[in-house]
Amino acid sequence: MVAMRVLRRLLDWLYTGCGILAAIFLVAILLLIVLQMSARWTGEIFPGAPEYAGYCMAAASFFAFASALNHGSHIRVSIVLNLLSRRAKRIVDGWCFLIGAALAWYFTYYAFQAIYWSWLFNDISQGQDASPIWIPQMAMGIGAGVFAIALTDNLLHVLFFGDNRIKTDIIEQSHGE
Amino acid sequence: MDQVYLIVIFLFVLFLLLGSGVWVGLALLGVAFVGVELFTTRPTGDVMITNIWRASSSWTLTALPLFIWMGEILFRTRLSEDMFRGLSPWLARLPGGLVHTNIVGCTVFAAVSGSSAATLTTVGKMSIPELRKREYPETMVIGTLAGAATLGLMIPPSLTLIVYGVQVNQSITKLFMAGILPGLVLALMFMGYVAIMSQVSSKFKPAKDPVMTFTEKVKNSRFLIPVILLIIVVIGSMYLGFATATEAAAIGVIGSLILAASQRSLNWKSFSTSLMGAMRTSAMIALILAGAAFLSQSMGFTGLPRGLADLIAELDLTRFELLMVLLIFYIILGCFLDGISSVVLTMAVVEPMIVQAGIDIIWFGIFVVVVVEMAQITPPIGFNLFVLQGMTNHEMNFIAKAAFPMFLIMVVMVFLLILVPDIATILPETMWESAGGG
Repeated sequence: MVAMRVLRRLLDWLYTGCGILAAIFLVAILLLIVLQMSARWTGEIFPGAPEYAGYCMAAASFFAFASALNHGSHIRVSIVLNLLSRRAKRIVDGWCFLIGAALAWYFTYYAFQAIYWSWLFNDISQGQDASPIWIPQMAMGIGAGVFAIALTDNLLHVLFFGDNRIKTDIIEQSHGE
Repeated sequence: MDQVYLIVIFLFVLFLLLGSGVWVGLALLGVAFVGVELFTTRPTGDVMITNIWRASSSWTLTALPLFIWMGEILFRTRLSEDMFRGLSPWLARLPGGLVHTNIVGCTVFAAVSGSSAATLTTVGKMSIPELRKREYPETMVIGTLAGAATLGLMIPPSLTLIVYGVQVNQSITKLFMAGILPGLVLALMFMGYVAIMSQVSSKFKPAKDPVMTFTEKVKNSRFLIPVILLIIVVIGSMYLGFATATEAAAIGVIGSLILAASQRSLNWKSFSTSLMGAMRTSAMIALILAGAAFLSQSMGFTGLPRGLADLIAELDLTRFELLMVLLIFYIILGCFLDGISSVVLTMAVVEPMIVQAGIDIIWFGIFVVVVVEMAQITPPIGFNLFVLQGMTNHEMNFIAKAAFPMFLIMVVMVFLLILVPDIATILPETMWESAGGG
């Protein structure tokens, strides 16, 4: 059981760590835009700033998916779930995590395949930044992978313990609307 | 006939995934996957990655996390207290008294926050206990708060409008400008309702506050000046073309950090919680948008949007009839889905329809937002109702009933918008084109 506990702690660190990384990318978006604005106002040019900000946006989103899942930020239609008995709810919840995990793993697989091809053929961004596209795409791959791990983690939890590990936070969820 | 069969399967999967509670973004992704598999021979995985990468790494989208962050910072300041203290002396003498602080407070906070529920919490935190203390009728307090908070979606910055703009590829700034006047008109209509009810209703006998002198009033509201300045800078810079929506959002974040610091409510804890909250909320929307981007493409393959647009053309509906159909459609949809999900789910299909009918796409954004706002305050899933339930411990039914007059006022607003489309289109037409575009 010690191994399980270590794994549990490692996984929780992974989710939190990726969340913090996502937050750092969010700050990076702010800094890039401020730099670009001040460059424009002083007559300078900051080539590629929109592209860099876009990459940070993708990184901030993908790294945050797992953390958002565990905090119950992702929206779902829970009308049916709330009507069900405990037993049925467990089955439907398991189905949701199964579908979710399958889709996330599928996405991760193809994301890494795309990254591999970009790297192999040395794909360069079309924008002014002219950066090798596989570097920013890595954030998409890794973030999706961690999201897939989090979904699988929850799926197993539902199967073995009957409930998921999501702390539903209607207040936080509502801030998106 | 085969095509029809496939479309039925496609729609069945959509309802199955969404209905069983798969997270909206992932459900859209799953449906899109099924669509591409059923209708084309393309390599689904590659189509998916190309599409989602393009959608997720877009520059336009960066306005989203920044505006969310701005709202989260201000949400954690003393703004709630300041708002009530600053507004109440000015509004106390109006017919309807301090109930107006709910509406004006929501209008002000809506101009710094893109979220309806965050607006509700910020304003309600202070106004609910204060209004109760003065014995205002509870239904009035709750109802106006639920209704006016939806202005958060309409008055810029608005998360729903950003999502709409990204989906239909329109300038976010223009959409923001389009939302200002309808938002203010709606606020005035709410205030008019309060004024009338205060005269008609026999239950409206609140305790009066002592009358203040002019200098006292100014002294009480001096804390509101920084917020007003922030609003003017953020919205003004967009209107005058100094900044794009994203840049205005960056200015807004820095402005609210300064504001929070000057109030001494900025410390490491409030900074990091606001940042982490913004990170997660923005990820929630980003996941939906990623799924929706792929779904739009997949929908295109199914031929559903084109087919429906043709059908609408054949039916020869007038614009008004089409809008009525859409109004009812969105109200029903709003019973099952939250606002952002309804917008992203339907726009791929609805956009060709409204283009076909010659409806202005910026104007339609405002129309959709008002309709989606109504869903915020109607059961079973109106977010504002849930939030209010958490804040007041009332039954859901009580809150929904209290909010119902506001729902009707919004219906009136929809018709007003159809009758006088200029309310929405005049500002985007007169604004200065921004330097950076978009």
